[in-house]
Amino acid sequence: MFWRVVVAEMKKNVRQFFFSRATLVWAFVLPLGNGLYLYFLYFPFVTKSVELEFNASTYTLDLVGFTLIGQLLYSFFVMVMVVGAAFDREREQGTLEALLLSPANRMAILLGGALASAVWYMWMLIGVLFSWIGFFQVNIIINDFLALFTSVALSYLSLVALGMCLEALFIHSRRGVMYGTMLQEPIMFLSGLIFPLQAMPRGLLVFSYLIPLTFGLISVRLTLLGGASMFDVAVPLGILAFMTATLFILAMWLIGYAERQAKVKATLTQF
Amino acid sequence: MTIESFAVEAQQLSRDYVSTKRSHILGRKTTTTIRALDHIDFEIDEGELFGLLGPNGAGKTTTVKILCTLLEPTGGHAFVKGYDVVKDAARVRKIVNMVAGGERMLYYRLTGRENLRYFADLYDVPKKEVSTRVDRLLELVGLIDRADDEVEKYSKGMRQRLQICRGLINDPEVVFLDEPTLGLDVNIAKDIRKFIREKIVEEQGKTVLLTTHYMYEAEEMCARVGFLSKGKLVAVGHIEELKRKMPTGFSMEVLVTRLTDETLEGLRRLKKVKRVLITDYEGEAEGEKIDRLIINVDSDAAAPEVLDYMSTMHCRTISVNIRGPTLEDLFMFFTGEP
Repeated sequence: MFWRVVVAEMKKNVRQFFFSRATLVWAFVLPLGNGLYLYFLYFPFVTKSVELEFNASTYTLDLVGFTLIGQLLYSFFVMVMVVGAAFDREREQGTLEALLLSPANRMAILLGGALASAVWYMWMLIGVLFSWIGFFQVNIIINDFLALFTSVALSYLSLVALGMCLEALFIHSRRGVMYGTMLQEPIMFLSGLIFPLQAMPRGLLVFSYLIPLTFGLISVRLTLLGGASMFDVAVPLGILAFMTATLFILAMWLIGYAERQAKVKATLTQF
Repeated sequence: MTIESFAVEAQQLSRDYVSTKRSHILGRKTTTTIRALDHIDFEIDEGELFGLLGPNGAGKTTTVKILCTLLEPTGGHAFVKGYDVVKDAARVRKIVNMVAGGERMLYYRLTGRENLRYFADLYDVPKKEVSTRVDRLLELVGLIDRADDEVEKYSKGMRQRLQICRGLINDPEVVFLDEPTLGLDVNIAKDIRKFIREKIVEEQGKTVLLTTHYMYEAEEMCARVGFLSKGKLVAVGHIEELKRKMPTGFSMEVLVTRLTDETLEGLRRLKKVKRVLITDYEGEAEGEKIDRLIINVDSDAAAPEVLDYMSTMHCRTISVNIRGPTLEDLFMFFTGEP
């Protein structure tokens, strides 16, 4: 029954999101626009590369590729926020009670909602790759495909787990969207989505290393642009895996807690 | 603790709502507690259609939400088919469903069929049965021809009929219908009442708890009712039994103009008059506001005396209707609310 609910939830979310052709265009054009914005942001600087220090080594990465990977994961992060607000939308459209009235496993509902973002993201990814190949000439150096795949997959799963935690919070309170938005800018800034972490004041780095996205970005950038192997990125991948597992466990606890609180405080229908 | 003799049972069920407010953004918090349900007790037998009646804000929806596990009580216990709605919430959710009038509970961007298939998955309806069950339900409510249209293209009545399908998708043993005809036009409401009585209760033998503030609706559908007023259950029983508890056998419904407080007081002092209630009535006669009086009298023989008195007090009588007690009279008798 668990996977049946996951699939049903995914189908419903995708169907609701792609209800019109305009959403297809939006999801395709958005990353292209973001890519152009970032490209011209760095354009005045003469340099064509960026140096990334990691694990006592210095990697020289293509500047455009560096920023585009940041943009790639940022687009997905935005998606996760959108999906994370699913329960809030259910509350507003008056379907949250029908959903929670059913005996369906709550984790399955959360997971289905979060995985639906993968479908949207795949479509966005086509837009991103199109812009990479068609417009920007990115210097890609891949030596270990397994390391690249693991980095992308773990980055994706960590964001899914984060989305599930946010979604669980949205059951409890209509302020969930506000909390989510409050998190968005600090995560963007601290994770090194737009600029290398070594440019960050040392004191703030502590917070950077509390964010899974930071480790996702390091490993994806190094494996896609710097030719790093699995061995080279073993540390960030290990930390990322640990953080992802912790977030999944947190989401499981949060959903039970949030539903109970919503029933005690009668907030299921407030918006 | 489980109680298996009733389909639904509430024992001293209570619910308080606590709200906090600040006078301004930096102001001190003030907390207000509103008692929505105050120690109510009632039972519903297997296969029974029980009506819970009361005006808006009486506590009907709160009762339903507690019974279908969407809200936790702050006191007392409730059981559905012997399962505690708090401790065994997961089991209760498998055997109940709820339809609420005037609320969405459907996905407007999905088609009617997609909505039902989605809920069938959530309730783990056997995969082989899903298509047949969805088609059968859509046929039952007359929506089979529009099954593949998006719900946003449906009329209000069609959406309500689809809601009923959603409420039956898991073949529940107990169905909670919370004001299912709210806001619907007369003919559609009539069809839905007929469907509930004939198909859900008589044919399928399901237990139904119906809440409504339309007295005629409950009178048409239920044999046994409970009256909720300001969170308290003031009377429960078979309608005929409750009628026998009324001390007066007849009610006069009188529409009058030029009614004064003095006339009302005088009416209440008449020997054969047991009770006089004045209710809202929207209308005018020759530019004068019409009032509606419900006068409980010993017998129909009291009518001439009442009308004579009103005439001497210069009231203008528009119409008089003498009848046995209705559910509305019962409600007013037990709750004291017009």
